[in-house]
Amino acid sequence: MTNTENLENISLELRRGVIVLAVLSQLSGEQYGYSLLKLLADLGLEVDQGTLYPLLRRLEAQGMLQSVWKIEGARPRRYYVISTEGRKLLPELKKEWAGIVSVMDRILA
Amino acid sequence: MNLIDRYVTEVGKRLVLVKGHADIEKELHSTLEDMLEDRAQKAGHPADKAMEIELLKEYGSPDKVAETYNPFPYLIGPRLFPIFVILLKIVLGAVALGLTIAMGVQIIAHPPATTMELFKFIGQGLLNMVSAFIAAFGNLALIFALLERFTPASELKFGAVQKVGSKFTILHSADEKEEWDPAVLIKEPEPQDVKIWEPILAIVFTLFVIYIFNFNRQWLSLNYYDQGIWFVGFGDLITGKLGSIPLFSEAFFHWLPLMNIAWLAEIVLNGMLLRSSQWNISTRLFSIGIKILQIVINLLLLAGPFILGITAGALAASKVMDMNTAQAVTTALRQVIPILLGLGIFGKLVEIGQAGRKMIMQDKPAKV
Repeated sequence: MTNTENLENISLELRRGVIVLAVLSQLSGEQYGYSLLKLLADLGLEVDQGTLYPLLRRLEAQGMLQSVWKIEGARPRRYYVISTEGRKLLPELKKEWAGIVSVMDRILA
Repeated sequence: MNLIDRYVTEVGKRLVLVKGHADIEKELHSTLEDMLEDRAQKAGHPADKAMEIELLKEYGSPDKVAETYNPFPYLIGPRLFPIFVILLKIVLGAVALGLTIAMGVQIIAHPPATTMELFKFIGQGLLNMVSAFIAAFGNLALIFALLERFTPASELKFGAVQKVGSKFTILHSADEKEEWDPAVLIKEPEPQDVKIWEPILAIVFTLFVIYIFNFNRQWLSLNYYDQGIWFVGFGDLITGKLGSIPLFSEAFFHWLPLMNIAWLAEIVLNGMLLRSSQWNISTRLFSIGIKILQIVINLLLLAGPFILGITAGALAASKVMDMNTAQAVTTALRQVIPILLGLGIFGKLVEIGQAGRKMIMQDKPAKV
């Protein structure tokens, strides 16, 4: 495995860890999968659709999200929004994230 | 069905065991449509086939996409599941066919003495078949589970397979470095393709018909008991019956040689279809010829004496009904049978028309 491949793999692992937090933070309002993908990309976090959609399903199964199908034009879209359970958890996750950043800043300084 | 529909269907085939797979397919479809629309807007022209292919190529092979939705370890994963299903169908079909033939041969070689024995024999045969199905399923599942566990994806030389008509197409190689090509989804199933089980079933059924009409004519009878219970078929095997009335008259069996020719021709036709796996000009013409012969037989039956052996006298003699009722029944039958034969002729004419149309539309050269 080359250094470039190693870097890619480790970066991917690092990003994977933060996607849940990123997704939950952006779902205070309703978003469908593709719009969320674009929103995250606009904010600088490129997420593979193969990662995002299964993650949305998993978070919904865990009760963190709610979803509803809506017909827009001729196309049905599944809209996701953070659930009450997710809303309760989000501040704690943010706190946890801030803690990690703070620790890592100290370690990497 | 456009390319996105086909792609989603392919992904769906790999997710049949995943809860909510219909929802996943719907969402995937919607996302791909969104992405395509986005690309079309950026390109400044409506989405075309090339754009669709490019999008699906980037999105990844159906295997790869399906794998992301499988949260749990599986016995047989998405990369092997489609080929497992195809092989399972083939194996179960072969087991069913083999056991059915074996059962038929055994019945012919050692005919059961009573109806009860016959039913017991058939029941035992069905139980054997269920056991064989379970064993075949178990063995195949075990082989695939072992492949799934111990064979890395890179070592599997066969990728996902797609069934197009009766043929199987390798959808993509499991070699990660080899790109999958969505263009394989474009290929339409060919209308002349033959499903393998159709000719097999037709041959087995025709052989059964030939056997009964030629060697066990007595089975084609209406049997009655003292309490007025009626039973059609296996007339000579029933114990304790009072009597039986043959279903068909001698006038019907007069044309049996001609019927045998038609049935044997059907067997030859289905053998040809089994061999070539598709309809071609020769088989279509042969099929039209058989249908013409069947029309001729129907016309001969229609023009000749009454083909049913059920007469008012025989019905009255059974003491299940009186003479007046028996006459009413036979009069009704005499009116219904010509109508049925006429409908049969009409049906065959329609089939000839359809076969002719397909033959004209078929642009492929004859294979046989």
